[in-house]
Amino acid sequence: MDCYTANWNPLGDSAFYRKYELYSMDWDLKEELRDCLVAAAPYGGPIALLRNPWQKEKAASVRPVLEIYSASGMPLASLLWKSGPVVSLGWSAEEELLCVQEDGAVLVYGLHGDFRRHFSMGNEVLQNRVLDARIFHTEFGSGVAILTGAHRFTLSANVGDLKLRRMPEVPGLQSAPSCWTTLCQERAAQILVAVGPDLYLLDHAACSAVTPPGLAPGVSSFLQMAVSFTYRHLALFTDTGHIWMGTASLKEKLCEFNCNIRAPPKQMVWCSRPRSKERAIVVAWERRLMVVGDAPESIQFVLDEDSYLVPELDGVRIFSRSSHEFLHEVPVASEEIFKIASMAPGALLLEAQKEYEKESQKADEYLREIQELGQLTQAVQQCIEAAGHEHWPDMQKSLLRAASFGKCFLDRFPPDSFVRMCQDLRVLNAVRDYHIGIPLTYSQYKQMTIQVLLDRLVLRRLYPLAIQICEYLRLPEVQGVSRILAHWACYKVQQKDVSDEDVARAINQKLGDTPGVSYSDIAARAYGCGRTELAIKLLEYEPRSGEQVPLLLKMKRSKLALSKAIESGDTDLVFTVLLHLKNELNRGDFFMTLRNQPMALSLYRQFCKHQELETLKDLYNQDDNHQELGSFHIRASYAAEERIEGRVAALQMAADAFYKAKNEFAAKATEDQMRLLRLQRRLEDELGGQFLDLSLHDTVTTLILGGHNKRAEQLARDFRIPDKRLWWLKLTALADLEDWEELEKFSKSKKSPIGYLPFVEICMKQHNKYEAKKYASRVGPEQKVKALLLVGDVAQAADVAIERRNEAELSLVLSHCTGAADGATADKIQRARAQAQKK
Amino acid sequence: MATMPEEFRLPGKKDLFIEADLMSPLDRIANVSILKQHEVDKLYKVENKPVLSSNEQLCFLVRPRIKNMRYIANLVNTDKLAGRTRKYKVIFSPQKFYACEMVLEEEGIYGDVSCDEWAFSLLPLDVDLLSMELPEFFRDYFLEGDQRWINTVAQALHLLSTLYGSFPNCYGIGRCAKMSHELWRKLEEEEDGETKGRRPEIGHVFLLDRDVDFVTALCSQVVYEGLVDDTFRIKCGSVDFGPEVTSSDRSLKVLLNAEDKVFNEIRNEHFSNVFGFLSQKARNLQAQYDRRRGMDIKQMKNFVSQELKGLKQEHRLLSLHIGACESIMKKKTKQDFQELIKTEHALLEGFNIRESTGYIEEHIDRQVSLIESLRLMCLLSITENGLIPKDYRSLKTQYLQSYGPEHLLTFSNLRRAGLLTEQAPGDTLTAVESKVSKLVTDKAAGRITDAFSSLAKRSNFRAISKKLNLIPRVDGEYDLKVPRDMAYVFSGAYVPLSCRIIEQVLERRSWQGLDEVVRLLNCSEFAFTDMTKEDKASSESLRLILVVFLGGCTFSELSALRFLGREKGYRFIFLTTAVTNSARLMEAMSEVKV
Repeated sequence: MDCYTANWNPLGDSAFYRKYELYSMDWDLKEELRDCLVAAAPYGGPIALLRNPWQKEKAASVRPVLEIYSASGMPLASLLWKSGPVVSLGWSAEEELLCVQEDGAVLVYGLHGDFRRHFSMGNEVLQNRVLDARIFHTEFGSGVAILTGAHRFTLSANVGDLKLRRMPEVPGLQSAPSCWTTLCQERAAQILVAVGPDLYLLDHAACSAVTPPGLAPGVSSFLQMAVSFTYRHLALFTDTGHIWMGTASLKEKLCEFNCNIRAPPKQMVWCSRPRSKERAIVVAWERRLMVVGDAPESIQFVLDEDSYLVPELDGVRIFSRSSHEFLHEVPVASEEIFKIASMAPGALLLEAQKEYEKESQKADEYLREIQELGQLTQAVQQCIEAAGHEHWPDMQKSLLRAASFGKCFLDRFPPDSFVRMCQDLRVLNAVRDYHIGIPLTYSQYKQMTIQVLLDRLVLRRLYPLAIQICEYLRLPEVQGVSRILAHWACYKVQQKDVSDEDVARAINQKLGDTPGVSYSDIAARAYGCGRTELAIKLLEYEPRSGEQVPLLLKMKRSKLALSKAIESGDTDLVFTVLLHLKNELNRGDFFMTLRNQPMALSLYRQFCKHQELETLKDLYNQDDNHQELGSFHIRASYAAEERIEGRVAALQMAADAFYKAKNEFAAKATEDQMRLLRLQRRLEDELGGQFLDLSLHDTVTTLILGGHNKRAEQLARDFRIPDKRLWWLKLTALADLEDWEELEKFSKSKKSPIGYLPFVEICMKQHNKYEAKKYASRVGPEQKVKALLLVGDVAQAADVAIERRNEAELSLVLSHCTGAADGATADKIQRARAQAQKK
Repeated sequence: MATMPEEFRLPGKKDLFIEADLMSPLDRIANVSILKQHEVDKLYKVENKPVLSSNEQLCFLVRPRIKNMRYIANLVNTDKLAGRTRKYKVIFSPQKFYACEMVLEEEGIYGDVSCDEWAFSLLPLDVDLLSMELPEFFRDYFLEGDQRWINTVAQALHLLSTLYGSFPNCYGIGRCAKMSHELWRKLEEEEDGETKGRRPEIGHVFLLDRDVDFVTALCSQVVYEGLVDDTFRIKCGSVDFGPEVTSSDRSLKVLLNAEDKVFNEIRNEHFSNVFGFLSQKARNLQAQYDRRRGMDIKQMKNFVSQELKGLKQEHRLLSLHIGACESIMKKKTKQDFQELIKTEHALLEGFNIRESTGYIEEHIDRQVSLIESLRLMCLLSITENGLIPKDYRSLKTQYLQSYGPEHLLTFSNLRRAGLLTEQAPGDTLTAVESKVSKLVTDKAAGRITDAFSSLAKRSNFRAISKKLNLIPRVDGEYDLKVPRDMAYVFSGAYVPLSCRIIEQVLERRSWQGLDEVVRLLNCSEFAFTDMTKEDKASSESLRLILVVFLGGCTFSELSALRFLGREKGYRFIFLTTAVTNSARLMEAMSEVKV
C-alpha cells in the first residue's frame, strides 16, 4: 500500500494533496502555450487555443488559427481566424466559446467551431479598445467583464440576456491596473481592482476602497489575485512575495504565506473542495508550481513544460504539451483508508477483503476487529465513498469489492448507495475515456447532474453514448432517450449534403414513435436551416396535427396548415388558420380553398353570419348554393329590412334563388308570402289594426274576429286555404266570439268537412252545453258516443254504444259511469255485454 | 369538479352580466349570497336591451360566441362615445376562442377588456348524471356542422379518466363520437405515464351521437321525470313549480335528484303508477303521524325530536309531487293526450299511416302547438324514411299557413339535419352508398359517404326496428307496474333505440353481429378494448358503465338504462352535453323571428 500514497504530499498537519495524470496528451500543438490565448472550460470542458499574433510588435501577415480540443487533446475544431484582434477567450456555462475582440465585439462559437452569433460590449470601446477581458460564471449564467483603454470597466452578468453595465470610475487609475478580477457577492457581480498599494471594489453604484485585514506591511503593488471557484475566497499576491488568503468579502483573513519569490506568478488559482480541510492556493511560475496553505511549508513541484492551470470545483487541472494532470486535496474517505497505518474501519475492511482473496484467515481477524467496534456499516460506506474518488478503475473495483464483501456480514444494509455508486462510476469511466475526454471527478459529476452531462455529450454529438447512458440508468424516455434523439435529429437536418428524403427517413427510422419526441421542433429546426421541404416531410411524422400548424403557417404553407388544423379537430386552430388565409390570399382563392374544406367553410360561414353578412352572400354565390342564398334573403326579409318594399324585394330575390335551386315549393311559398305581405299592408291601411307578420291562418282569424267575413272568405279563396282548415279556423274564431248564431249558420252552410264532433268539442270548451247538444245530434254514428259523452249524456251514449255493439265504446261509456245516477246505465251495459258474449 | 370560479375574483364592486344559458349552472355552484360575497352588485342577463348599470366595473360571463362579443363591443363603444371609462372583464365558459378575440379586435375594444376563462366542464346533477350544460351542442354540431365542442367533450372525458383511471373498453357510434374518441385518445397519449398505472374504476365507456336515434328523443315522455321535464322544464337539475302545483300563491324552485326520497322512488315509474304510489305513500305517512296518538310523554319527545322533521319533509315533498301530478293530468287531458300517444305509437309501429298523417294535419290546422306539430311531422318523417312528396308539400304548406312563413327556414334546417325529409325515389342511393363504404375505409371514403349521407340521410327506422325488435309483441295487457323490458318507458310500445343499441353492444362486448344494424344506421361505429387495462380492472368496475350522449339525452332514456342496469347488474353513469327532450330539439332547429 505504501506505493499508493507515494504521490501524497502533506500540507500542514491535517491535509494531503495529490497530483495524478488524467491523460497523456498527444495533441499536435503547433505553438507554445505561452504564445497562445488559452481558454479551458471547467467541469472537464474543452480547451480553446488561439495563437496571439497581435501581442507581438510586428503585425503578423499570417492569419492565426483557432483550435478547439477536448480535455484529452482530441481535436474538435480548427478554423482560420478572419476577424479582428482578440483580447481574451473564455467558455460560457453552455460550453460556447466567447472571443472578446479588441473592438469590443464578442464572437460566439460552438464547440465544433460553428459561428453562433455576436454581440458588442458597447460603443464606447470602439474608440478606446479593450485592454483586457474576463469571462466569469455566476448562478445567473456566464458573464463578460472588460477593461477599456480609458481604464473603465463594463460588464454583463449574463451574456444570454445581455445588459451592459458600466462600472464607476476608479480614482487615480491612469494606466492599466496591476491586476483585477470579478467577484460575485449577494447575487451581484463586482470587480476588484488593484491600483498600486490600494484595492478598490466596484459595484454598479460605487467604487469603494478596501483593505485586506492583516496584510503584511510594505506592499506597494499587488501582482496577482485569485478568487475561488465558489467566489467565497480571495488570494492576493503582493510584490513583497507574500500571499494573502482570506474571504472574498475582505472581512476575514485566513492566513498569509511568504513564498520569497517576488517575480509575478504566471497563474494563481485556488485549489480547494467543498468541506476542505486545508484550503490551498496553487501558484505557477515558468518552471515552478507551488501549493500554499495555512502551513509553514508549501508543496513544490517542478514544471518541466509550459503549463496551464484550470480551476475546478474540487481541485486544479494542469495541462501542458504532453500531459494533463489533476491536483487536489485527498478526500476524507480516501485518506482514512489509505493513510499509512490507518486503523479506520474502511482500511481494515479493505485489508480483510484482500486477505480473504488470499484465502488467509487474517481476513476473519480484521473483520472481527471491525465488528467488535460495531463499525462495519461505516466501513462499507467508507469504501463506497472512496471508490467514487478514485480515478483508476482497478482501484475503484478493489474498493467496491471490499464494500461488497463487508456488506455480506451486514443484515440490513440498504443496497442503493452501493448500486448507485457502481452506476455512477461506470458512467464516469465512460466519459473519462480518452476518446470522449471529459475528465469529471465524482464531486463535479454530482454537482453538474446527469442531465447536464447528457447535454454536454449531445453538444459533442456523442449521441450513441448519451443514449447508452440513458438506457443504462433507466432514465424516463421523455427526459432521456427521446430528448437525445430529438437533438440528434436537429443535428441531422443540418447535414446539407444528404437529400431531404434520406434525412427524413433516417430520422423517422431512429425516432419512430418514441414518446416525448416533437417532430415539429425538429421540423422547425430544419426550416431554420432553410430546408422547407424537409421540414414539411418531417411534419408528416408529427402525430399531433395541431402541432404542425404553427410551423406550416410560418412556412407559408397555409393550405396545408388548414387541412392539418381540420385534422386536429381543434376548431380554434382552424379559425386561426382561416383568418391567416383570409389575409394571405385574394378573395377568390380564399373561397376556392374553403370550398374544398367543408368544416372550415361552415366555420367561416358562422363567423360571417354574425360579422360579415355580405361575405356570406358572396360565399353562397360563389358556390352556386342557391338554396342557402334563398334562405339568406328570407332571413334578411324580416331581420334586416324594415320597409315593406325592401322586404318584398328581399323575398323576390329569395324566390329567384329558390327557382334556381329547383326548389319550387320554397319559391312558391315565398311568392305567397310576398302576396300576403302586400295584402296585409293593404288591410292595415284599409281596416286599421295589426296584420303585418301574422301567418295566413292568423290573418284570416283576425279578419273573422273583426267581423270582416267577406274579406276572410276572399283571402281564403285567394290563398287556396283548404276547406278543412277553413272550417277549423272559422269554428274556433266564431266560438271565441261566442257568435252562436253565425256559427249555426256556418254549420249549415254545407256539410262539414271535419264532421260535427269538433263543433261539440269547441262549444264545450266555451262551456256552452246548450249549443254543444245541438251539434251532438248531427255527429256521425262513428263518433256519436264520444260526442254524447262530451255533452254529458251518458245514458244515451250507452244506448248508442249498445246498438252499435262496439266493445271499445262500451268500455269507454262504462268508464264515464261515475256518478250515482249512472248506476242503472252501468248495469245496462253489463247486461248488453253479457248478452253479446252469449251470442 | 365545479367550484366557484376563481376568475370572478375581480377586486372591488362590480356588476355581473350572465348569458341566459349559464345562469342555471352558475346558480348550482354559487347562489346569490356567494356572489354578493364576491362583491357582485347587480346581476344582468345578456340580452338585447340597453344597459342601465352604473357600476365602474363590469364583468361578463358568456359563451364564446360572436353574438356575445358584439353585445359587449356595443356596450363598451357606447361608453366610449359617452366619454366614460370603466373596467370590463369577459369570462368565457368553457373556453376562449380565437374568433372571439378577433371580433373584439375588429370592434376596436380588444385593449379595453381583459379576458379570462371559466373552464367548467362537468356539473354533477345527480348521483349518476353528469352534465356539460352545453345545450347548444346539438344545434352547433348537428345543424351547423360546427365542431367546436368536440374538443371540450374530449377534455371532459380526459378529466374523467384522470380521476377514475383510463377505461378498458370503449364503444361508440356516430361521427362525433368517433372524433371525440380520437381526440381524447390523443390527449391521453400526450399525458405522461402517470395515470396509466391507475386501476381503472369504470369498466366501459359508450359514446353515442344524438342523430343515431332521433326517434326516442322525439317521443312524448311518460315516465314521471320525463313528464315533469316535458311539462315544467327541468333546468340544471331543478324545476320551478308554479302556483298551480304548490297550491299557494308563489312558485317554488325544487331540486330534483336522488336526495329527494319521494322523487327518487317515482322518477323512473310510468306515470300511470305514480298516483297510486303517491296515495299509498300518503296513507303510510298518515299512519306514522297517527302513531303519536297512543304515545306517552317520553315517546312523544322522541318522536318530535327524531322523526317529526323527517316526516314533515316527506310530507312537503309528497304534496309537491301530488300537486305536480295533478297539474300534469290537467294539462294532458286538455290536449287529448291519449289521442296523441296513440298516434305516436301508430307511427312507431308503422300502421295507419294515413290516419296519423290526418291527425297531424288537423293538429297543424288547429294551431295546437308550433313545436308539437313540428315534432309530429319529424316523427312521421323519420319513422317512414321521409315523407312521401305529396305529404311533404302539403304538411309544410299547412304549417307555414298556421305558424308563419319564416319556418321555411326551419324546414331547411330540419332537412339538413335529416329530421324532416322527402322520400327519395327508389333505393338506389343507399345501394351505392353501402358499396362505397364497403370498398374503401380510409378517410377519403369517409368523406364520400358523409357527402352521401347528407344528400339523403335515411333513417331506415322500420328496418332497424325489426332487426332490433324495438316494438315488443304484446300478448294481452303490458303490465306497467312490473315492467318486462325497457319498453315500459313508452307504455310498453317501444324500446328506445339508443338504449337497445347500448344493451346489445354491452352484451356482445363488441359490434359483432350488429353489422346490418350499423349499416342501416349509416353511422361509423368503433370499439376499442385495452386488454392490459381490462386485466387490471376489478370485476366490480367492469360492471360500471359510462354512457356519453353527444347532443343530449332524455330522462326516458336514463330511466330505461337504469332499468336495464337493475336487470343485468350493471351500474350506469351518464355524461351528457345537456339533458334534452323533444321540445328542446325542435326549438334548437326552429328559426325564430327576433
